[in-house]
Amino acid sequence: MNFARLGLWLLRRERASGEWRVLLLALIIGVGSVATTGFLGDRLKRAMSEQGAGFLGADLLVSSPRPIAGWPQHTLATSSAIEFTSMVAKDDAFQLATLRAVDAAYPLRGSVRIAARPFEPGTVRPAQPPHGSVYVDASLLPLLNAQVGDRVQIGETRFSIAGVVAEEPGQLGGVFGLAPRVFLRADEMAATRVLQPGSRVSYLYQFAGEAKPLAAFSAALKPTLDRTQRLIGSREGVETVRGAFANADRYIQLTALISLLLSVAAIAIAAHRHALRHYDQAALLRCMGATTAQLRTLYSVQLLTLGLLGSLLGVAIGAAMQQVLALMVLPDAVTRLPALGIAPIGVALVSGLLALAGASLPALMRLIRVSPLRVLRRELPPLPLAAWISVGASATALLALVTWVAGDAKLVAVFVGALAGLTGVLILLARLALLGGQAVQKLSHGPLRFGLAQLLRHRFDSTVQLGAFTLALFLIALLALVRSDLVDSWRAQLPPDAPNYFLVNIAPQQQADVAAFLRQHQLQASALYPMVRGRLVSKNGSPIATTLPPEARNNASLRRELNLTWTATLPANNAVLAGHWHGNQRGAAPVKGTPAGTPLLRSDPSAAISVESGMAEQLNLTIGDTLGFQIGDQMLSARIGSIRSVKWDSMQPNFFVIFAPGQLDALPASSIASVHVSANQASVLPGFVKAFPGITVLALDKVIANIEAVFAQVIGAIQLLLGFLLAAGMAVVVATLLASLDARQQEAVLLRTLGAQRAYLAKSLWSEFIALGLLAGLLASACAEIAMALIAHRLFELPVRLHPWLWLVLPAAGALLVGLSGWLTTRHITRVPPMQSIRALS
Amino acid sequence: MTSSDPAQFPVVAARALTQRVNTSDGPLLILSDVELAVKAGETLAITGASGSGKSTLLGLLAGLDQPSSGELFLLGQNLNTLDEDARARLRAGRIGFVFQSFQLLPALTALENILLPLELAGRADARERASHWLERVGLTARSGHTPRQLSGGEQQRIALARAFATDPEIVFADEPTGNLDAETGARIIDLLFELNASAHTTLILVTHDEALAARCQRRIHLVAGHVNKAAAA
Repeated sequence: MNFARLGLWLLRRERASGEWRVLLLALIIGVGSVATTGFLGDRLKRAMSEQGAGFLGADLLVSSPRPIAGWPQHTLATSSAIEFTSMVAKDDAFQLATLRAVDAAYPLRGSVRIAARPFEPGTVRPAQPPHGSVYVDASLLPLLNAQVGDRVQIGETRFSIAGVVAEEPGQLGGVFGLAPRVFLRADEMAATRVLQPGSRVSYLYQFAGEAKPLAAFSAALKPTLDRTQRLIGSREGVETVRGAFANADRYIQLTALISLLLSVAAIAIAAHRHALRHYDQAALLRCMGATTAQLRTLYSVQLLTLGLLGSLLGVAIGAAMQQVLALMVLPDAVTRLPALGIAPIGVALVSGLLALAGASLPALMRLIRVSPLRVLRRELPPLPLAAWISVGASATALLALVTWVAGDAKLVAVFVGALAGLTGVLILLARLALLGGQAVQKLSHGPLRFGLAQLLRHRFDSTVQLGAFTLALFLIALLALVRSDLVDSWRAQLPPDAPNYFLVNIAPQQQADVAAFLRQHQLQASALYPMVRGRLVSKNGSPIATTLPPEARNNASLRRELNLTWTATLPANNAVLAGHWHGNQRGAAPVKGTPAGTPLLRSDPSAAISVESGMAEQLNLTIGDTLGFQIGDQMLSARIGSIRSVKWDSMQPNFFVIFAPGQLDALPASSIASVHVSANQASVLPGFVKAFPGITVLALDKVIANIEAVFAQVIGAIQLLLGFLLAAGMAVVVATLLASLDARQQEAVLLRTLGAQRAYLAKSLWSEFIALGLLAGLLASACAEIAMALIAHRLFELPVRLHPWLWLVLPAAGALLVGLSGWLTTRHITRVPPMQSIRALS
Repeated sequence: MTSSDPAQFPVVAARALTQRVNTSDGPLLILSDVELAVKAGETLAITGASGSGKSTLLGLLAGLDQPSSGELFLLGQNLNTLDEDARARLRAGRIGFVFQSFQLLPALTALENILLPLELAGRADARERASHWLERVGLTARSGHTPRQLSGGEQQRIALARAFATDPEIVFADEPTGNLDAETGARIIDLLFELNASAHTTLILVTHDEALAARCQRRIHLVAGHVNKAAAA
């Protein structure tokens, strides 16, 4: 018989042994967590890249906040669309929607599917609906209490709903139900009169054609675009989205890796004990003539078999779990995602085998180098140098695994550093907790005292168990707190009459009527702020980007258009930190060298503006700097007169840059206001929407509820992943307990021989494990409270509050989980008759 | 040793065999200048007090360890020139062992424990031979039992069957009755010599059981690592 077969034979014989089971279980858990995230990430990535140009709806897309008139010469197919948000109303119901006014050619690439009823697959059709009608997202129908065929109001026009959008380019699913999609005809948009000067609009120009003319067109077009206008190729379009997604995916994968690393700990402990229990076997086989190479074959085959079995089961569990996750995160899109990929299976298998090899090779190396003389003299071989090399190699392998997932060295360093730091803190805490346990032990008696003594005697084991379990409980609790707490705390600190609706897009000629309507219905509104969109382009005459270090140049306030306003009074919730508030000072100047357009802007080089402090800090702006803005095709410069703090969560309209009155007045501007509508006033809103169809009414409650819902979905998914971590923690507990099982059995035999009853032994075991679980729960509670306090205070400037329920739930959960896994692992030592135990141990 | 009769040729020979180990108190001499030749088919008892070096000598003779100095021949091979793996290959199928603590694999049944060395030696009729040897030691009824379900005497009988199953040229036994009561021990001794006689195997055993030593053709007595010439028969 060859040694590979012998290995399998012995493995089959020993399959019921505790070590193999724990090893297998830990491997399944670790690989399961890696496979779950791997499968899901891969499906999403492929969903994006497989759609290619279809993802963008074109080969080339230009997005601009303003219409673009002149194009370089080209022979490409074109389509243009206008995208904006507006209210859609039916009877008393109204909803904010993202409207896309499209021509007959849209989409140039990919497809739009329109269905007759929600959640039907639908048929491929042009996105342009028939005259007098719109296509809407399925999620809009229940919000408006509408059905296909009903009529809805958009601005000043009524449309009938001709179908439901089942699929459109670039959409994976309707996760964000905040502003559902509506397609209408471009040639019917003007009649709605929704768009006002100053409205936030995206003009989308799409192009499709052969690669060569596309490249020529793209090259000619690029220099003519400014920074607010974006040119996206189909590949870049996918890459942008995929890039953002890959970042998120990477963090999720790292979360999964923590479970794998904890599993590695369990595997290493189980493998160590396995080796310990098989030195005699190895020595005996050597006596019978087995060479080192043959033993290596034997144990490698065993390990590889277990590794493949565990990894495959882990992959199977991952395949099931990723579907659950997909249903949680993308309930609408699951059926449209591509099938499971092959690549993540490879990744998970490699991770599993690497983890198993890394964790168990040191033990295995010792095993195959055992001296045959051990059969005569029970001495352990010293750990050979090669085993340390293998520890180094496996650590390197695991590091490589982390690097592979994390992608860049900085993230690896942060991850490994954070993990090492956390491990250090947990070990320290565990040690301190055990010291506390010592004090309790001195005061206790009977089985409790004996159980606690066990905990303290196996100090190393207890530290590992406490650390692993605390980590799992802590992370799960922290996520639960983040999910429930942040939004609650933030809501709690808002005054009851804080504005809960934004009125956006108020045309200048409507201002008086809107004010009258609000007065008439006794609604408390903020001041009306005019809004002009413009982009910051220069500082003291130099392009703004050149004044910044390279890493700061990608600042969002440089890329997008800012909402600019003007007012003489400092808004409530704003405070001047430096300089003087400009008050009623007037004046502005066209920037030197800019082509003279229609002189809408008045000139005064000393005109003052006020800049928000965070923006000033990021862009390195100080009092006295002269900033240049591009507004439409006009340029304007003004001097920073004050820097101001803004309470962003005040629910008032807030602005980065506020001009003095007189500088922007002549520009077409719409206004924004916030208003508090109490529950019993809500019935006036449909009247408002009917009276002012072009004004967007944004329900902040809904926005927050939507964000909360998405947040809850994502956190729920991550918590599910942390379930793996908890399972891995339990595997560590079981593995360490198994490692001490022989010693425990000896003690139990001794105690029973001395007359201890079974109940006494059982009680002492339960005391030990429950104490361990309680301690882990308490430590996790403390860690979670501290982390949460830091997050609330530092990140969100929210008041710190304690969570008494946490201190009950976590210790109880810990006691239950550790108690159960501990009792199940060790219970038989109370049942074996002393005589049999003595014989088994001799 | 002069005859060409293979039965007269020594299967185990030691010249000036010395074993030292390094301890924290300096080097410790365990065996000193042991001279020994065991002919094929011979039965030899190595006796001596605890710590006299008996087990060390047995381990060296069986090729389980390397001597500090001296020459050692096993089955015609100079062990000094072989590394551990080469010595293992030499043992495979040709050397049997019986231990004080039985050393049965706990996960395997009685039959499978006997099967193990046969499988390792690649015997085609492994299963039949294992069954045959199980019958020889009178434990056919216990075939499917694991060591935990067997008494000490039964376990040692399985170990005897395992040692003889491959038709080895030499069987080394280390205190084979050390863990057994007198009555059981006596029965094991009877069985050991009966099997040895019928298989014509060379038997080298370590014991401090006088009754056991007396049944061997020859005995050497170790005192503090030296062969006590007076006691040697």
